[in-house]
Amino acid sequence: MSLVAEALVSQIAAAEPWPENAALYQQMKEEQILLSDNASSLAVQAFLQMCSLPVQVVCRPNAEYMSPSGKVPFIHVGNQVVSELGPIVQFVKAKGHSLSDGLDEVQKAEMKAYMELVNNMLLTAELYLQWCDDATVEEITHPRYGSPYPWPLNRILAYQKQWEVRRKMKAIGWAGKSLEQVLEDVDQCCQALSQRLGTQPYFFNKLPTELDALVFGHLFTILTTQLTSDELSEKVKNYSNLVAFCRRIEQQYFEGRDKDSSSTSRFSKGPLLR
Amino acid sequence: MAAPMELSCWGGGWGLPSVHTESLIVMAYARFSGAPLRVSAVDHSWSAPQGDVPVLISEDAVIAQPAKILNYLRKQKYNADYELSAKQGADTLAYIALLEEKLLPAILHTFWVEAENYCSVTKPWYASRIPFPLRLYLPGKMSRKALNRILLMRGEPPLYRLNDVEAQIYRDAKECLNLLSNRLGTSQFFFGNTPTTLDAFVFGFLAPLYKVHFPKVQLQEHLKQLHNLCRFCDDILSGYFRLSVTGFSPAGQDTVDANLQKLTQLVNKESNLIEKMDDNLRKSPQHPPRKLTTLKLSAAGEESSLLTRLSPC
Repeated sequence: MSLVAEALVSQIAAAEPWPENAALYQQMKEEQILLSDNASSLAVQAFLQMCSLPVQVVCRPNAEYMSPSGKVPFIHVGNQVVSELGPIVQFVKAKGHSLSDGLDEVQKAEMKAYMELVNNMLLTAELYLQWCDDATVEEITHPRYGSPYPWPLNRILAYQKQWEVRRKMKAIGWAGKSLEQVLEDVDQCCQALSQRLGTQPYFFNKLPTELDALVFGHLFTILTTQLTSDELSEKVKNYSNLVAFCRRIEQQYFEGRDKDSSSTSRFSKGPLLR
Repeated sequence: MAAPMELSCWGGGWGLPSVHTESLIVMAYARFSGAPLRVSAVDHSWSAPQGDVPVLISEDAVIAQPAKILNYLRKQKYNADYELSAKQGADTLAYIALLEEKLLPAILHTFWVEAENYCSVTKPWYASRIPFPLRLYLPGKMSRKALNRILLMRGEPPLYRLNDVEAQIYRDAKECLNLLSNRLGTSQFFFGNTPTTLDAFVFGFLAPLYKVHFPKVQLQEHLKQLHNLCRFCDDILSGYFRLSVTGFSPAGQDTVDANLQKLTQLVNKESNLIEKMDDNLRKSPQHPPRKLTTLKLSAAGEESSLLTRLSPC
């Protein structure tokens, strides 16, 4: 998108208030969505919840192809479609809602840095696990990714995606890593997040920011998703303050909402997190 | 006691000990931690490594990749991060991730993809350090690798065309530079008065961008407006690499010697800083002193932009 187009979009966005019928699209929850997409979707949901902006979660088998950037989740607000957390944060900010306005310049730099840490390590590790670890690919990724399509399309699309992700891993130098090294990286990342969080309720003390939403999305998904082995979730469980952090955000932003809303977004994984 | 360790890396130019980001990171870290390294620049002989550079060769190991080399040095008790708290260690990791995600694509683009820069600066420079038949092939390969990396990291469906990707990566890089500048503020290094791993990384990323003379300089111009980051690079260059003019520290040097050297460098740096502060005080309303060539360049640039602004349209 060019600068002009972007400026135009933000102006249009600012003119209209947040509508009641805003929708967030992702893949089918039970049988299709993969770890990394679920984490990204949950991060956006948490962010919008923290901004108190209502959004209805809509599950579509072809969400990936509906998204303007080819990535889930994306939100449909008024006549705008925006995908991924970064652009959505910008978009919501243009409408006058922001979680990070209270931070000073140094804190903003810190927030951005930690968000890149999560993208650089956790997201890449999730992608590695689901597309480069043979056991996971065989048992989970291929069946789930291809689930909406008939044979042979299910195999073709899954292999195409796998090839794409593996090329990316090769370009960033992750292709040569073993699973142990990747888990080691995850551990290092969790340790850094845990140190940064300390005993505070949120990363920047009392109020949540988009960093909290992003970290919650990834860690909660890792903690509550059943994979071929528990190695990944065990790494996170070693850090009690991170687990408590996930539980706190879940209780505050997701549990109350299920009771009083008729939205389709039921957060049904609650009891898994003990 | 200290085993001689040898570092093979790309050589220097434009007043830098190395023009290659990864080589520069390792060299800076070695200086900060006082590790005695014998640095040998890749030359045009066949025995020089051409693949993964920098490479650290010690008695018992051959290590590539900066992160691994730094880990190895830490295990050898050359640690620049002793004084950091756990939280500062976490910050280091986060800011390195920021550099890799936001700044690296634009640096790769400036060096290897931007056609004018690549043809008139990067390609001749690297070709002159690679033996004959390989010099026809390797720079092109490195360029394709860089382009590939940029496209795979950023080339999502709406951004298939390189133009769109370019706009995006430069916007990200400028934002990253601003964030770094805000984070550094007025302090000398990122964590107080002693340089650490993070300083080595930031220096490695910024210094080539700051010093190398390119025909296309959009990111360089942005960096030069962030005076504290420029000052940061200059300080490290003058404080830790001044000796490099006469050659690198000899192999097998005692740690005591290294520490002594570090101390003298610290003192030098302090006096440098005081000089600079005096200078700044004297010329406070004007721009801080720049090198002659860049002054010329920017003066010409300002003039032309002034002209375009003044001319009636």
